[in-house]
Parts: sequence; C-alpha cells; structure tokens
Amino acid sequence: MRRVVISGVGAISGLGNGVATLVDGIAAGRSAVRRMEGWEAYKGLRSLVGAPARLENEKDIPRKARRSMGRMGIFAVQASEQALTAAGIERAELGSTRVGCIIGSTMPGAEALCETFEIMLPTKDLSLLTAMKFFQCVSHTASMNVASYLGIKGCVMATSAACASAAQAIGTGYDLIRLGRQDVVLCGGAEELHPTVTASFDILFATSTSFNAAPDRTPRPFDRERDGLVCGEGCGIVVLEEYERAVRRGAPIYAELIGYDTAGSGEHVSQSNTDGIEGCMRAALAQAGLQPDDVDYVNAHGTATRDGDAAECAAIARVFGDRVPVSSLKGHMGHTLGASGALELIVCLAMMERGRVFATRNLENVADDCAGVQHVRESAARELRTIVKNCFAFGGINAVLVCRRL
Amino acid sequence: MGQTDERIAEMVVEVLEDDFELERERIVPEAHLFDDLELDSLDIVDLVVAMQVKFGVQIREDERIVEVRTVADLQRFILLLKRESEAT
Repeated sequence: MRRVVISGVGAISGLGNGVATLVDGIAAGRSAVRRMEGWEAYKGLRSLVGAPARLENEKDIPRKARRSMGRMGIFAVQASEQALTAAGIERAELGSTRVGCIIGSTMPGAEALCETFEIMLPTKDLSLLTAMKFFQCVSHTASMNVASYLGIKGCVMATSAACASAAQAIGTGYDLIRLGRQDVVLCGGAEELHPTVTASFDILFATSTSFNAAPDRTPRPFDRERDGLVCGEGCGIVVLEEYERAVRRGAPIYAELIGYDTAGSGEHVSQSNTDGIEGCMRAALAQAGLQPDDVDYVNAHGTATRDGDAAECAAIARVFGDRVPVSSLKGHMGHTLGASGALELIVCLAMMERGRVFATRNLENVADDCAGVQHVRESAARELRTIVKNCFAFGGINAVLVCRRL
Repeated sequence: MGQTDERIAEMVVEVLEDDFELERERIVPEAHLFDDLELDSLDIVDLVVAMQVKFGVQIREDERIVEVRTVADLQRFILLLKRESEAT
C-alpha cells in the first residue's frame, strides 16, 4: 500500500476566510455563533442561532464559472484554491487523470434548492426557472464546480453521509491514493447555512434553543447545560498526496493519514450508538496499526446534543479511558455539518504543528453523562504526534480518521 | 401606457449588463450574443427567464427566439412581444 500525506489545507468558516484566521480564532477562544436575523419569521423554528461564514471576493471567479455556484460552490472553490496554494500545486498539474476531487455535504445547495421550489411549486410553472438552479443545488454541486473550475480530470465524486460527509470524502481519497488509483485528491466538505437546514434538526429536537439571546454561550459540548447543536457553514479542503510524490517535490507535509474507517451502526436513523462509534474508532486504529495508548488526542464529533455527546464520551472512555485529551471545536464554529470533518481536521493539524491542544469552548461543567474521558478545559501546550478525528452522522453512519505528524 | 421603444431597448441592454456582467460598451446593437458577447446555451435559457421577468412576456415556448442572433434582434423581438401582448 502507498502512503498518503496531507500537503495542503484551505478553509472558509464562520471564524473567517483562510486557515490562519480559523486557527487563530479558535486559539483566541472566539465564537462564530450569531443570532440569525429574520429567522423568527419561521413559525415553530426555536433555534435562532447560527455560525454564518462571509461570502467574500466571489467576483474573482469569472461569471461563467461562478454562475453554476451557490454559496457552497463558491466556498468550495475558494477553499480549494487556498489548499492548492498551500500545497504549491500549480493549476497546470490538475489536468492529469491522476488528480481527483471528492467533496461532500449534508444538504445540496440549500438556497438554490429553496429558490427552485419557490419558483416552481406555488404556480406549478417552470417558465421562470433558470438553467443554473440545478447546478447550484444538485447534490454534487461542490465537487462538480471545483472540478470544472480547476480543470480536474481524475476521480470527481461527492460523498453524502450528512455530518460524516467530509470524513468519508477524505477517507475515500486516502483509499484511492493508497490503492494506486490517484496520486493527488482534493478532499473535504462544504455546507450552506439556511433556515431549512437548521429546521430539519430543530424538528428533531436536536438544536440549541435556550441561548438565542446569548449566542456565544452555545453550543456547549459535553456541558451540563448543553441543549443541542448550532448549524454553521463553510468549507474545508485538504490536499491528499501520495507520500513519495510529496517528498520528491518538497511539498509541505502537514501530517500522514494513517488510518480510516467508516461503518454503519445498523440500527436507529438518529439515535447515537456507542457500540457503533467504539467499533469505528477501534477499526480505524487497527488499520493504522496503533493501540489506543499510541494516540495523543481525540478530536470529538461533540455537537452538544444530549444523546450524541453522551454516547460518544462512553465510546471514547471504552477505547481510551481517561488517558487521552478530548475536545470538540463545535463551540467555536458551530456544527458545519458536511464540512465539519475537514474543517476540524485542519484545526487538528494546526494543533499538531503548534504543539497545543485547544479546549472545548463553552464547556463549564462537565455533565455526568459525559464523564470518564479527559476533557480539555483550558488550551495548553502539548506535543501531539498522533490524533484521532471522529465524525458521526444521522443515518447511523460513523467515520474516523487517524493522522500522524511526520 | 406602455414603455417607449427606446426605454425597452435600453432595458434589454440593462439585463445583459446586470445579469450577465457584460461591459456596457460591448453591448452594441450588432453584437452577436454567442460570438461577440460569449454567451452560451445555458446563458440563453437564463436570458429568456430574465426577459420574461423584466418585460412580463412569454418567450420560452415561442419558436421565434431561435431567430435571435444579435442585441438588435433581441431588442426587436422584445418590442414585438410587447406589442403583441398589448394588442390582446
């Protein structure tokens, strides 16, 4: 099997555009969560908070390329360009069939999808529907737009596994390179914040509803007062590259991807499953050839839902006991859903580089049902050589990535 | 009262300028929509929708749209549709 490294990173998030802004924001303990203007107009929507990203410089993308992109597509193109710049990969290299692009999301382009329905359904009339709506809201809008814009001719794919989408995209890229089918794959996830997206979680009583007047106090992963997730948006992209190729060209190597597993829990569509989470973490470690004691940090999925956090903590405790530091980044940037696996992995890479673990924001009092693991309460210096990134999704889908600093 | 012919012609130019981000100096009457303004088949679908919205006319099912080649053709076609709709 060939080895796979991460040689470039790019990020758009509620904390700002660019990886440095994201990491500095988290290091400074900032929150991207805001009260969302106009959301009170939706009857029954109880969660009025979100972590929006800013659309900036989108006109740098020529109109003919941009016309097929909604917010998500623009975020994905911009994060991909950042990642390629960081990796030192030129546009001219992207035309090889050995270079691919795999980007997932929970929802397709939510804004364009809603606009399509608003145009078509009230009058059952297609005459005002533009050609571009389809491309802006189709399920693979992020990967398709990135591949078209950058001229990528290898494997182009969109993973669709809700909050595990980005982790599955990265894992799939990892497998393609390991197996020798691709040499470089841009991988990650993208998501758009929209009231319909938050509503789909709100209906299930999974959203935070008690902090509309104090947005920066939520979400509260693992905390006694946690009351649900807060949706965010953005895009995280990592450049995965075959190890020898990266070394040969003197590329920056952020980490080696050494383990990945994705597995269904095979039971309930929304209830978290401790056995399934535990099994997925153990399988990823086994693939990496590691024991739990070899791991220096676990970046939790930790969305701040009541059941999800408890199930994840129980699983982490079973695998790692209380020996390994654990934190969640959702308190800073909300739950960026399909993008979260990539954005949070990128922050983990920065933690490894800086030799620091970042604390879980808004974790003031560890809930009894989240005890038994070593929660990071204060950011601190710590050498991190091997990290585990967890992602768990509705549909009972689990995905775990393992990275090692070289 | 309907809009003047000049105003309608100007509004066609505005749609091309605003929706398709074309520089105004390129939108001359003889400019070919494909060859000079570099619109493509997807843009034409959206141009039809934009014209329908702007002028309250129906174009999508009108076969005469295939004869439209230039900015001037488009302006004439919209004027014709406006007249036809006012006559009925």
